[in-house]
Amino acid sequence: MKSLNIRQRMVWAVVLPVLLIAGLLTAVFLTARMSDLDKSYHLKSQALVRQLAVSSEYGLFSANIVQLQVLANAALRESDVISVTVLDNRAMALVSAGQRRFAAVPLLGRTASATFDARRRVDLLVQPVMPSPVQLDDFMEPSASGSVIKPLVLGHVVVEFSQDRLLALEYEMLFLGLAVLALGLLVAGLLAIQLGQGVMGPIASVSKLIERIGHGDFSARNDISPSDPLRNLQIVLNQTAERLASSREDLEQRITLATEALREKKEEAENATLSKSRFLAAASHDLRQPTHALGMFVARLTQLSHDAQTSSLIKNLERSVQAMQDLLDTLLDISRLDAHAVPVQLSSFAIEDVFEKLRVTFAVLAQAKGLSLHVRPSPLWVRSDVALLHQVMINLVSNALKYTPKGGVVVACRMLSGGQKIRIEVWDSGQGIAAEHHQAIFTEFFQVGNAERNRTHGLGLGLNIVQRTLKLLGHSLDVCSRLGQGSRFAVELPLAPVGLALPLSKQDIMAPLLEFEGCQVLLVEDDLLASAALESLLASWGCELRCAVGLPEALAQLKDGWVPDLVISDYRLPDGANGIDTIEQVRAWVGEATQACLMSGDMNQDLNEASKAASLTLLHKPVRPAKLRSLIRHLLVAKAAL
Amino acid sequence: MLAQFRLITFLFGLLLGVDLMAHASPSVVIVSSERSPAFVEAAETLVSELERLGVSRFDMLQQTALEFQRSGPGSPKLLVALGSQAAQAVAKTKPQSPVLCALLPRNSFEWVLRETGLKSSEQFSALLLDQPLSRQLELIRIALPAAKNVGVLWGPDSKSKELQIKALAATKLLSVVDGHVAEDSLLFPQLKKVLTEADVLLALADQQVFNAQNIQNILLSSFRAKVPLVGFSPAYVRAGALISLFTTPEQIGRQSAALAKDVLLGKGLPGSPVYPSQFSVMVNDHVARSLGLNLDEQALSARLKSSERAK
Repeated sequence: MKSLNIRQRMVWAVVLPVLLIAGLLTAVFLTARMSDLDKSYHLKSQALVRQLAVSSEYGLFSANIVQLQVLANAALRESDVISVTVLDNRAMALVSAGQRRFAAVPLLGRTASATFDARRRVDLLVQPVMPSPVQLDDFMEPSASGSVIKPLVLGHVVVEFSQDRLLALEYEMLFLGLAVLALGLLVAGLLAIQLGQGVMGPIASVSKLIERIGHGDFSARNDISPSDPLRNLQIVLNQTAERLASSREDLEQRITLATEALREKKEEAENATLSKSRFLAAASHDLRQPTHALGMFVARLTQLSHDAQTSSLIKNLERSVQAMQDLLDTLLDISRLDAHAVPVQLSSFAIEDVFEKLRVTFAVLAQAKGLSLHVRPSPLWVRSDVALLHQVMINLVSNALKYTPKGGVVVACRMLSGGQKIRIEVWDSGQGIAAEHHQAIFTEFFQVGNAERNRTHGLGLGLNIVQRTLKLLGHSLDVCSRLGQGSRFAVELPLAPVGLALPLSKQDIMAPLLEFEGCQVLLVEDDLLASAALESLLASWGCELRCAVGLPEALAQLKDGWVPDLVISDYRLPDGANGIDTIEQVRAWVGEATQACLMSGDMNQDLNEASKAASLTLLHKPVRPAKLRSLIRHLLVAKAAL
Repeated sequence: MLAQFRLITFLFGLLLGVDLMAHASPSVVIVSSERSPAFVEAAETLVSELERLGVSRFDMLQQTALEFQRSGPGSPKLLVALGSQAAQAVAKTKPQSPVLCALLPRNSFEWVLRETGLKSSEQFSALLLDQPLSRQLELIRIALPAAKNVGVLWGPDSKSKELQIKALAATKLLSVVDGHVAEDSLLFPQLKKVLTEADVLLALADQQVFNAQNIQNILLSSFRAKVPLVGFSPAYVRAGALISLFTTPEQIGRQSAALAKDVLLGKGLPGSPVYPSQFSVMVNDHVARSLGLNLDEQALSARLKSSERAK
């Protein structure tokens, strides 16, 4: 049975007993009433027949047909009577009235009889007509005389009664009973619904209140009428809502306080981080300048002729500077990643572009270590930043080669099921990483088995940069490795539809000395050491230089009508001037779009954007001579194209 | 005081009676058909009349027919049988003592004679209940002087009187209108025929014609025909007859006592049955009024008696 709601249950609870009682009573009274009707019908018909028999006595005795006919007609007028027949003692019909339905008159005896014809619903009553005896004197009734006088039967009265009216009455009664029953049920139902509303109203109001409280509306209150059957419940509910409201208020207040405290703490921490960053930025700027200069000097130094001992020394010196610059570059990369200063330029490209560079880059190194490097070609395209992904792959492959004493390294990629992503995997047959170090290898300066921090083993920043870069790109990285059984690093990145492949530029060819002979360069640099180093290096490449420490000096250099081919300016200049303004002014003075580039020791996103807006290439200090040379070459080619 | 004395005497008598019954035969034995009030009245009247005439109560024995059959006739000076059953029971024993049958109609007495083969004699006689036909006709003449035609219905038991009544009627200037009701034939056609012509209907004791079953309808018919009915018992008057001529049990008892006294004194009983000399007249006032008559029982009775005395 399907579940009923309270209202329906209530209606049933009232209607069912009423139905039972009313039904039972109706049945009992109907039965009693019908039996009464039946009895009265039979009594009446018998009485009528008996009365008719008595009335007919004299008529039969005197064979008075007229009188008998009058009696029969009178009897016929009684209800239910269909026909009346009076027969004499020889069963001859003396008179009859009405239409007889019975086919044959039953046997006529000395006693009354009744026959019921169920098909025609007709009762046939036969009553013998006897003379009514009169008490006469005993001794004049001589039984002794022998002749016994039997009571004489004068004739018979036969009356047919129809039960049609009785049946109609019974049906009427039944209908009435059912109508009363239905009315009773209706009244009970209405009463139940009325009662139900009396109870359901408050319940509905309470449940609505609870619902509102449940939805967090603690201001909800019910108006309580004194006649409410659920008055106490309503009062308690209202009190509960009040308490809930006050406790929520209390809680909110506490949360506000806690939030305030947290915000203060966060601000403190942010301030601390900011000051740390400022310190680091300042420190690295200050550290860059001398390193930059040192690099330039060493580069210049190598171009001079020396004896073998000095040459070896210079080579060592150059390696040290190289290491220091690598360290600074890496630190710079990390700090850029940290500061989100690395712009991500997502594009679709063939993964094969990256793979080809890997092959070119590491072929020599692998061969030198006696390892096999196998980069499996792939036709797939990916969506990522090509430069950053290249950097990641270089780090991973270089790490793999570094920690693999024998065997080889395999780089491969495949499409993942679903066709949305590809997975690039770098396998090596190296020493592997213990499971407990799987997390630690991504932290800064962690190196497995290099507690003494041997510089030849690198800095231990590669995987950290990989992780940071991939995080920036939104690619995932996972590692699978067991000690002594090699490692596998895997990068998952989105697949891109195959597009047009771009040809690889291969311009990294070592230029001879005096490559830029006759090139007029204006160098604006406030740091004298860095200026001297750069001046020396540029001069070694055949450039003709004029140097200035600031904007006024730079403009002064132009007063004699000298036109530079190229302007190289530091960004931060004395007296609040900056490189971009200087270049603008120089260009304004010269009157043509002189090629120019910026240099800076600051790691600053604003600076990046400013230089980009001015269409100037920004070189971060310490600038590597190779990088600088490549840029100058590029700029001069662009100038020639104008 | 008197009642006490009577009770003591009765009880004493009862004891003595029992003793007498055991050792000596009583002079008068009264046998009643039953102990109904009419019989008791007749018997009591007889006993007290005899007592008054000097016969001791202890010399008389009252029995029912049943008791008589058990104890046998004995040898009393007189056996008095009251009612038809008693008469039959006594007659069957063929007693040596003289037997007086009383309180029975002539038909019954004659039937008893036929059954037992006895003959009416001084030894076996009867005091009849029926009224003599002459008395009945005389009553009609006195009570209904305008009536000339007397209607009579003859049945098997009564038709023997046909000639007698016609002769008697002629002497009283009355004519008889009669009808014969045979056994198993319808009464009404004959009744109707008689009623259309008769001025008065005379009912005679005949079971076939007048009985408890049809007396009501006969009375109704006669009443409708405005023909008064003269009956032979008080019941007829109560049922609607105008007038009845009859002898009461008490009168029978008294006349029986007179006849018994003669026997005790050594005389014989009458050789043939005798009609009662005493009688009563009863009138239904309602019927009389509705017929426009004014009749007085006493006056009628007195006139009838004086008329008989004149004869």
